[in-house]
Amino acid sequence: MVRIHNACVRYRNNDGLEQINLEIRRGEFIYLVGPTGAGKSTVLKLIYMEELPDEGHVMVDNFDTREMSAREIPYVRRKIGVVFQDFKLLDDRDIFENVAFVLRVTGVRRKDIKRRTLRALADVGLSHKSRKMPNELSGGEQQRVSIARAIVNDPFILLADEPTGNLDPTTAVEIMNIFEKLNARGTAVLMATHNYEIVNNSAKRIVSIKNGRTLN
Amino acid sequence: MTITISLVLTGIFLIITINLNRFVEDLRSRVELEVFLDDSFDEAKIKSLSDKIRSIAGVEDLTFISKEMAILEYNNLFKEETDYFEVLGYNPLPASFRVKLKYDFRTAQGAEQVSNAIHSLPDISPDDVAFRREALVKFEKYIRVAIGIDLIVGCIVCLSALLLVSNSIKLIIFSKSSLIHTMKLVGATNFFIRMPLYVQGTVQGILGGLFAALILLSLVKISGIEVASLITIQWQLYMLLICFGGVLGIVGSSMAVRHYL
Repeated sequence: MVRIHNACVRYRNNDGLEQINLEIRRGEFIYLVGPTGAGKSTVLKLIYMEELPDEGHVMVDNFDTREMSAREIPYVRRKIGVVFQDFKLLDDRDIFENVAFVLRVTGVRRKDIKRRTLRALADVGLSHKSRKMPNELSGGEQQRVSIARAIVNDPFILLADEPTGNLDPTTAVEIMNIFEKLNARGTAVLMATHNYEIVNNSAKRIVSIKNGRTLN
Repeated sequence: MTITISLVLTGIFLIITINLNRFVEDLRSRVELEVFLDDSFDEAKIKSLSDKIRSIAGVEDLTFISKEMAILEYNNLFKEETDYFEVLGYNPLPASFRVKLKYDFRTAQGAEQVSNAIHSLPDISPDDVAFRREALVKFEKYIRVAIGIDLIVGCIVCLSALLLVSNSIKLIIFSKSSLIHTMKLVGATNFFIRMPLYVQGTVQGILGGLFAALILLSLVKISGIEVASLITIQWQLYMLLICFGGVLGIVGSSMAVRHYL
């Protein structure tokens, strides 16, 4: 489903990734752990193809970086949901529009947009705040909007980049519960985190990354 | 606003160019040769010469000016009240053909070519064929300079208008960079992201052209420039300006979008 094979990403300052290998199967839940700057975000970027490997290759569903063109990247991203640490919500529109935005840019029919957006907001428990603006919500609520936006397109995998990094412990647990619920419904989850407390209390698969290499 | 100002400048440039062109065409249409005829030529001879001149390449038409018509024209032209018959007892002005040239021959070189062909006819000497050679050569020289300056100014004005549109779209892209990044991350295609920017650029260009046309129209009405018979401004110019604004918008936004997206 997702396969990173011997991928290297090299930056000018000699940072980057060396020989990353990772395979994610349908419905799996994986924690990607490692110290700050180890390259966790870069691994996620390889999957949603904001970074392309200098060596090796990445396969997402039927897309393979060795064979595809840059024009196909948007279609890869439509199969993936991404949750960011800083939420990346659009401040100029309300919660409903933030979530519906994904469907609008991917050309979903208007009558389906409302139904799917309301369902995604219900999944994260924010139906009652759909007409609020992002700055009227708490950090935990904004992260839930970010999750709703990530799942509204029914992705087969959710990538979460330090999703609890900016949240208090109680809210972080709430967010983790949402991920668990989504995973139970069959969505694979790859979560980059350095919150070892969350990781240690879980029986999920853990992939470590250190000095730009994966240690399974 | 900046687009409007640059399009007003473009409009002024177009007015100058169109009228310069019209002025050149007007002067060129007046380029003609005069072929003076000997008083001894009878009607048959004049008819035969007329046919021969008409058949020369470069001759569009010719008009016969009789001795009597020549006197009348002379008097009209110089407002002379003196009657030549009273002073001299005879009409000293010769009859002539006024030869109109085809469009491509309305140059110093073309006129010279036709002139040579006419005075190579029997009974016509080189002195019998006249045209304003010096004036024509000078005119062509000045026109070349004027067209050169006009083209350079035109290019500068169009280029600056293009850069202004392109820069305003770049500013829009910068101001929406977070939105555009998010659109990309959630799977929007480049076409989906670019299309509204193209539309925005085009609308800006058309609106700029519309305002520029209104400003120019007001300037023309206020200054009364159209009253001068030589300078005319047709409504097509305003339409051209609006269309040009639209084209500038499309090209300018394409430049910005291609560079930044």
